Amino acid sequence: MNRRLRALLRLFAVQGTWNYERMLGVGMGYAAEPLLEDLKAVDPVRHGEAVVRSAEFFNCHPNLAGLALGATARAEYEAVAGPQIVRLRTALCSPLGSMGDQLFWAGLVPALVGITLVAVMLGARMGAIAAFLLTYNSIRIWTGYWSLRTGMSAGMKVGAAISSSWLPKAIEWVGPAAGFALGAAVPAVAAWYLGIFGWAGAIGAAGVGVAGFALTRWFGPGLTSVRFALLAMILLLLFRRIGL
Amino acid sequence: MTEFSPHVVLPLLLWGTLVGLDLVSVPQAMISRPVVAGAVAGAIAGDIEAGFRIGVLFELFALDVMPFGAVRYPDYGPATIGAVALAAGTPWELGLGIGTAFGLILAVLGGWSLQVVRRWNARSIQRQAAALAAGESSAIRRLQYGALFRDALRGFTLTLTALVLASTLSESIRLDRQTAVAFTLVAIGSGLAAAVNSVVRASGRGPRLKWLIAGLAVGLLIAVLL
Repeated sequence: MNRRLRALLRLFAVQGTWNYERMLGVGMGYAAEPLLEDLKAVDPVRHGEAVVRSAEFFNCHPNLAGLALGATARAEYEAVAGPQIVRLRTALCSPLGSMGDQLFWAGLVPALVGITLVAVMLGARMGAIAAFLLTYNSIRIWTGYWSLRTGMSAGMKVGAAISSSWLPKAIEWVGPAAGFALGAAVPAVAAWYLGIFGWAGAIGAAGVGVAGFALTRWFGPGLTSVRFALLAMILLLLFRRIGL
Repeated sequence: MTEFSPHVVLPLLLWGTLVGLDLVSVPQAMISRPVVAGAVAGAIAGDIEAGFRIGVLFELFALDVMPFGAVRYPDYGPATIGAVALAAGTPWELGLGIGTAFGLILAVLGGWSLQVVRRWNARSIQRQAAALAAGESSAIRRLQYGALFRDALRGFTLTLTALVLASTLSESIRLDRQTAVAFTLVAIGSGLAAAVNSVVRASGRGPRLKWLIAGLAVGLLIAVLL
């Protein structure tokens, strides 16, 4: 199998060894192995050093990790000084993390989930699930391929390649799309659930919803929505027990 | 109530293990999203309606916490499967509340199990520190495969625990209709609160807010038509 393809496939497991010390580091080392193989024959000492560097601390969004992987692998072949490669890796952590989070976790995923929920409400069911998986994974696989290719062709100039790419523009439009999709999903989901309970049931659930929204915002991270839900259910059980 | 026979339990265990792995380790294909995990679990358990009702509700909770950076979050995948197993076969308006309570506890347990696996990974790396410092590729491979195995084991154990508990609870829990419906309404209200929270937080005050309001208008129209 092509070495670049092997590295791309290994990137899908880049978070496999996630931990609080090296974060994605070992996963990056695992993905870098096929890319660094040729270096072993040319310069075994450099290869050993490159393997050590590839598994050191690293953190970014997993779907954009290919940019850092490709850029550092190329830099190893170009015999760029080791400390410079380490600095490049460190410099890429925050921007790749932030851009990936905005593009995927705050943009694409909520947007697609919102659309899927609306489609489920409208009766698409398994078709909506299949479309969600197909769309997300097509975009994700293409992004992974693009990241690795761009990183390998740009090398130490990967920063400029990222700024002039489609990424910043995509981040600009995907956020509003997520807002629109989730905005459409919430009332549709509420109607889907509450339709059979009548006005009394709807008002009761809305009361819980308003209390939940206000209290979780008031108390912040100390009272998450899950904690609120469990607390409300415990209170309900107590009220039922004493006959309210 | 789900029929806990081998032809239902074994596929659910396999699905739970895959879903557990998907959350962080591999391949992050979004099969761990509750709406996906729930729909497939419902199909396996023979009650797709329960799968969607629970999956969609857990999706509302999941939207509240996105996995930014090193943030700690509940694991809704195996939890959704356990909740579906408990609620399947019951009219959804009666089973949703108790299934949600059960699933949310499992989700918190799942989130805690992620921390355990991460600490376990860190200890394995410390044990291989010399080999890593020597640039041994085989050490990296060993660490990676070991960590993937641990996460698969985590997903399997969580799902097994969920199914064993669901089987026990489905035999022992008896709620009157009024309490079961009240539980369901509390679950729906809490889920909607979580979703509104995430939407408001994500929209801010800029152009996103305008798009959110436009989306709400469309959603209200759909709600009227449903």
